[in-house]
Amino acid sequence: MTLDRQAARRKFLRGMGVCIALPALDWLAPRHAALAAGTGPKATTATGAPLRMAFCYIPNGVNVACWTPNGEGAKYELNRTMEPLADFRSDFQVITGLEQRNGFGGKDGAGDHARANATILTGARPRKTAGADIQLGVSVDQLAAQHVGDATRFPSLELSCDGVRKSGACDSGYSCAYQFNLSWRTPTSPMAPESNPRLVFERLFGAGSSGQRSEAFRQRQQQQRSILDFAADEAERLHRQLGRNDQHKLDEYLTGVRDIERRIERAERFGDVADPGVETPSGIPGNYRQHLRLMSDMLVLAFQTDSTRIATFLMAHDGSNRTFEDIGIRDGHHSLSHHMNDKAKLEKIAKIDAFYTGELAYFLGRLRNTKDRDGRTLLENSMIVYASGLSDGNRHQHNNLPVILAGHGGGLLHASRHLKLTQPTPMTNLYVSMLDALKVPVEQFGDSNGRLEI
Amino acid sequence: MRTVDLWLNLRAGVHPLAARSWLLAGCLTLAASVAVADERAPLTVRSTTTAEMRRIADRYCFECHGRGSEEGNLALDKLVDDSNRAKRHAAWLAVWKNLRAQSMPPADEPQPKDHERQALIQWIEREVFHLDPANPDPGRVTIRRLNRVEYEYTIHDLLGVDFDAEEAFPADDTGYGFDTIGDVLTISPLLVEKYLEAARAVVAKAVPPEGPGVPRRGVSIGGFRAGKKSKKNAYKVPFADAATLEQTVNIDVAGRYSVRFEVRAAGADEATSNTARVSTVVDHQPLKSQEIGWDNNNTIVLAGEAKLSRGRHALGIELTPLDPPQPGEDRLFLTVRKVELQGPLDGTLREYPSQFRRVFFDGPPPADAEGRREYAAKILRHFADRAFRRPIDDVTLERLVDLALPLDRTPQPTFEQGIADGLTAILVSPRFLLRAELQTQPDNPSKIVPLDELALASRLSYFLWSSLPDDQLFDLARHQRLRAQLAEQVDRMLDDPRSQRFVENFVGQWLQTRDVDGFSIDAKKVLGLPTRDASVRVFNSAVRRALRQETEMLFAHVLRSRASALDLLTADYTFLNEPLAKFYGIEGVDGDKMRQVNLAKDGHRGGILTQASVLLVTSNPTHTSPVKRGLFVLENLLGSPPPPPPANVPPLDVKSVRKGGRPLLRTLLEEHRRDPLCASCHSRMDPIGLAMEEYNALGLWREREFAKPIDTAGRLITGEKFADTRDLERVIATQRRGDFYRCLSEKMLTYAVGRGMEYYDAPTVDKLVASLERDGGRLRTLVHGIVDSAPFQKRRGDGSQQSTAPRSKPAPRAADAAAPKSSPTPVPRSR
Repeated sequence: MTLDRQAARRKFLRGMGVCIALPALDWLAPRHAALAAGTGPKATTATGAPLRMAFCYIPNGVNVACWTPNGEGAKYELNRTMEPLADFRSDFQVITGLEQRNGFGGKDGAGDHARANATILTGARPRKTAGADIQLGVSVDQLAAQHVGDATRFPSLELSCDGVRKSGACDSGYSCAYQFNLSWRTPTSPMAPESNPRLVFERLFGAGSSGQRSEAFRQRQQQQRSILDFAADEAERLHRQLGRNDQHKLDEYLTGVRDIERRIERAERFGDVADPGVETPSGIPGNYRQHLRLMSDMLVLAFQTDSTRIATFLMAHDGSNRTFEDIGIRDGHHSLSHHMNDKAKLEKIAKIDAFYTGELAYFLGRLRNTKDRDGRTLLENSMIVYASGLSDGNRHQHNNLPVILAGHGGGLLHASRHLKLTQPTPMTNLYVSMLDALKVPVEQFGDSNGRLEI
Repeated sequence: MRTVDLWLNLRAGVHPLAARSWLLAGCLTLAASVAVADERAPLTVRSTTTAEMRRIADRYCFECHGRGSEEGNLALDKLVDDSNRAKRHAAWLAVWKNLRAQSMPPADEPQPKDHERQALIQWIEREVFHLDPANPDPGRVTIRRLNRVEYEYTIHDLLGVDFDAEEAFPADDTGYGFDTIGDVLTISPLLVEKYLEAARAVVAKAVPPEGPGVPRRGVSIGGFRAGKKSKKNAYKVPFADAATLEQTVNIDVAGRYSVRFEVRAAGADEATSNTARVSTVVDHQPLKSQEIGWDNNNTIVLAGEAKLSRGRHALGIELTPLDPPQPGEDRLFLTVRKVELQGPLDGTLREYPSQFRRVFFDGPPPADAEGRREYAAKILRHFADRAFRRPIDDVTLERLVDLALPLDRTPQPTFEQGIADGLTAILVSPRFLLRAELQTQPDNPSKIVPLDELALASRLSYFLWSSLPDDQLFDLARHQRLRAQLAEQVDRMLDDPRSQRFVENFVGQWLQTRDVDGFSIDAKKVLGLPTRDASVRVFNSAVRRALRQETEMLFAHVLRSRASALDLLTADYTFLNEPLAKFYGIEGVDGDKMRQVNLAKDGHRGGILTQASVLLVTSNPTHTSPVKRGLFVLENLLGSPPPPPPANVPPLDVKSVRKGGRPLLRTLLEEHRRDPLCASCHSRMDPIGLAMEEYNALGLWREREFAKPIDTAGRLITGEKFADTRDLERVIATQRRGDFYRCLSEKMLTYAVGRGMEYYDAPTVDKLVASLERDGGRLRTLVHGIVDSAPFQKRRGDGSQQSTAPRSKPAPRAADAAAPKSSPTPVPRSR
């Protein structure tokens, strides 16, 4: 159900009219939002509160029969896998019929798990290489971060629960980079995610006990200036002596240095780092559910303190063969996903799917229980995409993807409905509409061919 | 309708389409099954003429790819006649790969004889690729950052500081199965941030928080003697007899000194009434005295001050027996733990504690500004030379000194703080984090230059030690003498304990022993035991640790003892400790220490394919996977991974095999292979994996499964028959030896140079294989061969036919960042 682009644009502009008509509320906008680049305040809701966007990825597709809701529109019925979300019915919509065409093999052959992971946020086809010249596309979160990232201390946050890589080759001749990263800053530079909740926390709020953190944070940033200057000079001198491909590595390095420089500038503009008033979490818990929840907590803290507005969370990489002790499943997830319609296996997959939606419910619950600065909840002022890059893992299908869009986008988004697209529609159409909501000027992204009425 | 995959999944649990890896792209290992090594014609014997090439191609290829047929858009006859071969490189590459992989002609068409296939391949290599075995193309390696492991070792060797990079840094991406591949070791903004934090944390441990203090020195405990003839020592002084142990210490500067002894009573786990008086003595005068008994099993400090003149002084400890033990009680003894002298206490002399002298090697800084600047320059130069693995230039040094001793900062940082900032800057410099190899005309792909000696030293040290060059390597390279004694240096490096890092990192990834620790396996279910406790008794963390070590130690032994790489397959010995021996059911190994153990000739162990590490990591969490095991052998030992599966696998009619209840896995797989489409891959993998079915998912030997005996016999796609796993190992080590050598050579070369194998590496790899063949397969020969090879020794300019993809440029810097825009070239920094 791809809408005609112009119609979509008109509809969107009508929606925009609401916030344009309320200039009197501008004073509500936080100081730093006003400082953000561009004309209108980007990544803000009509009330001037921050508008956030997050992407949560689940691997290996789902048990499609248990996932797909019955009926459509507002009166749809939640299916079994979404039962853990029953309490949030009015806070999300289910979208069926989206696809990532570049996930399909075509002449690239095998490697669907790598492609599922690679395409989901980029809508681009990964170049098939085990390493020599990785190439994908900029991911939607990074595109957004490039436009709205200047409004917060961190342009974006990348999280994962996979701290270790498997040895040996990855999926079917694809570099592991495709399978373990969701976010791509450029077509050749993935954004490595952080998997240790303690390190996420310290990065956001500084090390040390509650109370000392801001001081530690500020001090460290000041001392860094001369060192960063030196580092950047070194990189530029070295840059001149190298060949093209080598220069590219130096460019990556320089980007990182400038990123820190910019953050220091922003920190000076925004004043002190918020102290979230909670204890620093200790490392990676042994239990997967606890790990997922701690990472969700970190994400909520980051949104709550407006440290960032853009985040990705790789709950597990595609192809993950993780076992689920908590729910008594000792077979690997990936092995199970090749269920071949075996009832016992399908049942186990449904259980795993419900485990994951249960964790989504936890995350949404935290967002709903946290007040934003405009008196609404964080969930109301967020757009959360929860998705897998495969529908049926058995057949490696990259169409009819399981997608939930949660949060209200500051009131822009529909909720409590099943949007059933009658024609296969690029997942990237959804992203273009979300970018619209963030006021990121974009007409086309990845393989998008229009907008989605969300 | 069910498909083939269902049947695989019934037991193997893995969809063949989804098997973890089908590494194919750009992999030379495809070459493997072209010919049995012993029959491989030497390259120099005779060159195939174009007419011959055409004749062979006409017989086997032109039916579909010639005489007007253009299947897959390929007309090979026209391609041969096209004189502009450089322009048709991509098409030729595809032809060459398919020939080497034996994926063409298709399995159901007549196959060329080995020498015919070889002739076609050689003709392409010579006439199209212009490969010159005498002068191989070194290829180009992308500048590479340190990976996490290398970062840890480099910091350790540089500063003696332990830093947990695996905890602190995001995981490294891998390519071609290794984490040493420059192209995928990307530098994300997060990582740069982590580098900065890591540098601070590391430097904080290497630089004293305060200025130099009163000198402190340890006194050797072994030096205390009860007289020239007595064997009594200070580690164990019995409470039973009176004793005085002394030694002479030299005092250079007169003054008051603090004399500190740390002692404790030991010898009894249970209470005893045994006591003694212990006194410290200086020049035979008691200084501090205390009565000590069983209650004092914690450390006791006896500290006092004494005025010492310049010269020699007797320092000692005296023990006087008091109460004896009651009958049945244990006797105590005194053990001295630490003795320390600190002084002179008036502060006339100041120095840094020993752990900081690595940086502040000339002691405290002088008082005058000029002297301090000179000292700072000396410290920073020494450190930067080693950290950059190349002498620092004066301009950079000047900048560092300015950074360390800023004139414009208030309050002025202390000397130590300044040096700390300097060291931090060095540790975040790209010259430290990246291994830059400089060359003239870096963008000229036809320009091939030998690496300069300093870059060569770094390649060597990161290959064999995962760390920076030590002083000897660095000094040799600096004086251009490294190439002259390369072989000796490689041997020295392999004999050095640091080469253990190569073993762990290379074997850890090649044979995947790195995955053993975290591998998810349900031992209870695999063993069919009722409780977790029961399974932990069989398979626990001690066993896990040991089975990982077993594989690594075998490799290390073969490498260090100058044995043949074939021992990895056929050794009649292995490395075990008691927990692992018990796990295997091997008797007569006691204790936790791993040691070499000879294996029974007719036993079930010997060679890596019978080792639990390999068997474990190629299993699913609850059961074995013959497909994964078969693939492991093809990929990592034979170097002939099957081509990727076709896009749409048609369903298999399995009604016939279903008759008579649950079919055996073997039956299913056999039925499955009857379909030629499936057979093309599975006839390679399955027989290997089925032979290894005699070991369960934990690697324990079993005779039967589901009460049915396991049939382990099979044959390789190339025809060699084997009876079981050990026989398979023998077949690989004899008839398929050449494949094994080639595969191992490619894996190690990939690890060593940090890039994937390309078609132009064929002559280099051929040479490595030939030298292994000549030398009985000595592993050390391979290491030497790699170090001597063109890809290791030389660099080609950038801009090759491979990597011309446009690369993105860095984001604009802060000041320009208000409106995001892309910038065609890196934006120069304004000062």
